[in-house]
Amino acid sequence: MERPTILQVDNIIKYFYEPEKFQVLKDISFSARKGEFLALVGKSGSGKSTLLYVLSTMDTDYAGRLSINGEPLTGKTQNELSAFRNQHIGFVFQFHYLLPEFTVLENIMIPALKLKRLSRQEIEHKAYMHLETLDLKDQALKSASKLSGGQQQRAAIARALINDPSIIMGDEPTGNLDSKNSQTVFDIFREIVTQGDQTIIAVTHDEDFAANCDRVLELSDGRLLPHS
Amino acid sequence: MRLPINYQIAATYLSSKLKQTIVAVLGVTFGISMYVFMNSFMSGVNLAQNRLAFSTLAHVRIYNDRPADRSDLVSRVYPAGTIANIRNSKVIKYTDGIKNSSEIIHYLHTIPIVETVAPEVNINVFFKNVGNKVNGTLSGVDVANEDQLFRMSRLMEQGKWKDLAFRPDGIIVGAELAKSLSLKVDDNLNILTADGVSHTYKVIGIFRTNLSSIDKTKAYLSITATRQLLAENQDYVTDIQVNVIDFKLANQLVHELAPVLSYKVESWSMANAQLEAGSNLRDVIAVAVSLTILIVAGFGIYNIMLMTINEKIREIAILKAMGFSGFDIRRIFLTMSSVIGLVGGFIGMGLGYIVSRLVNQVPFNVAGLATLPMDYDPRDYTLAFTFGLITTFVAGYFPSRKASRVDPVTIIRG
Repeated sequence: MERPTILQVDNIIKYFYEPEKFQVLKDISFSARKGEFLALVGKSGSGKSTLLYVLSTMDTDYAGRLSINGEPLTGKTQNELSAFRNQHIGFVFQFHYLLPEFTVLENIMIPALKLKRLSRQEIEHKAYMHLETLDLKDQALKSASKLSGGQQQRAAIARALINDPSIIMGDEPTGNLDSKNSQTVFDIFREIVTQGDQTIIAVTHDEDFAANCDRVLELSDGRLLPHS
Repeated sequence: MRLPINYQIAATYLSSKLKQTIVAVLGVTFGISMYVFMNSFMSGVNLAQNRLAFSTLAHVRIYNDRPADRSDLVSRVYPAGTIANIRNSKVIKYTDGIKNSSEIIHYLHTIPIVETVAPEVNINVFFKNVGNKVNGTLSGVDVANEDQLFRMSRLMEQGKWKDLAFRPDGIIVGAELAKSLSLKVDDNLNILTADGVSHTYKVIGIFRTNLSSIDKTKAYLSITATRQLLAENQDYVTDIQVNVIDFKLANQLVHELAPVLSYKVESWSMANAQLEAGSNLRDVIAVAVSLTILIVAGFGIYNIMLMTINEKIREIAILKAMGFSGFDIRRIFLTMSSVIGLVGGFIGMGLGYIVSRLVNQVPFNVAGLATLPMDYDPRDYTLAFTFGLITTFVAGYFPSRKASRVDPVTIIRG
């Protein structure tokens, strides 16, 4: 059975204007299906991160069309896009970017408290479930700044998952981790897509990571290479 | 912990940098307490000065003004160019004093805002005690009403004010005047009027108003005795002094009376523009000083907010990535500055009250005061609080706007 398309990208073109006008993304079109695990690779400067931030809806300065879950996102206001991200997109960055003044549990709950779809008790319960699967339950009430690097990255993943987003986007999610922790993060991602509801798109340098994904999109000089 | 998430984040940011928060709160506290104190002190001074001024000054005075200059009557009657030769022209005053004074007094009593009416006969005289001669004012007064108006019986150093009513031969003199004429109670004092009438009275009391211009030159007779001295009728009055229920209503009474009466009606503020100017200037100074302090406190908050935002710029970016809108971010930081303003405001009002109380205890033995004057007007407190809130809101607004405009892509990509 063909799985439904979750992400549709048509003819994305983007320019940088500083220090001089330069075309970073050249007519990029592709789509991703529900439950797919995609890696976005390419040399430094190939435009892969830029593409990811366009997909993330945070960067709106592009030409072309972007839709997620069948909802066209091009041309929406910043506030509409914030609300959309809150509900449909989870982020995992190279650095964890947890808020150091809050406990691990609070950090994970923040996006859900913002969404307000569930009550506080339900959110807390859900956060504990994620902490349990990510083997962080003992750390829940510690301050986020007291965790090790691998633990922090797992907490960041739990935070990305709390609102059950359709897409999880990773910008070098293992870039700052040793091989053991990288493997753990990869296994968590694999586990998520296996359940079939969520799609992962990750920018990565890590060849092992890319090799084990369902599909690899390779960018070179702002173009998507044809084999991908 | 049951607050909406934006407020929770604001609360956490405030409490995690407690020292910084306290510094910001102290800035506002100081500004607001200074505002409260300065304004309380200034209005205290104004009230004390008014009290002092009204011890000798009625709210409204009705008197017969000099007639207008009519020395050039010829040009009114004859065409221009007529040559007239008039030498040594004189202004003739047709009526002296106020005619029909009892009718006017009766009318004044029917006006609801009028509190007290006191008729007076005021003349300029020489006070003579053998060789010493001092010129001054002799006031013939209605003893009971004058007491109601100026609380004369409280100003007496020696003798009793009320005795004046029963002693047509008695006179009450100012303390400085008594001193310069070497007068004591029961001494004789000779009065010489402008018309050349001389009469001797017995000093039955000495008063002190603490206004040296009055104490040096004034003496009181009963109004009947003064009329006798001037050989005038029993209705003769030169001034009618009127007090209204609130001195601020004086001008209202003037507007009501001026068209009806054919005499000059003057309020205290017309006669003593410097009093009002003085109190207005003090108010301006108080507001200027305290607003300056508040603005300085505002810059302090602005600085601290900017520092916090620069420190947390990555967190702001990540909050935006997770779905917080610019509006949410702005609310977080505005909440922080508003909390600083509210807390600083409440403490500031309390501190301002304490400082006012303390300064109110400082001894100050000048012009009938015992301690430095202070006024406790709730309006000063609410105004201080409002200004404090406005300052902190403005000081928080611009940094929070900056925070709301953070572009997450540039920050996260580095």
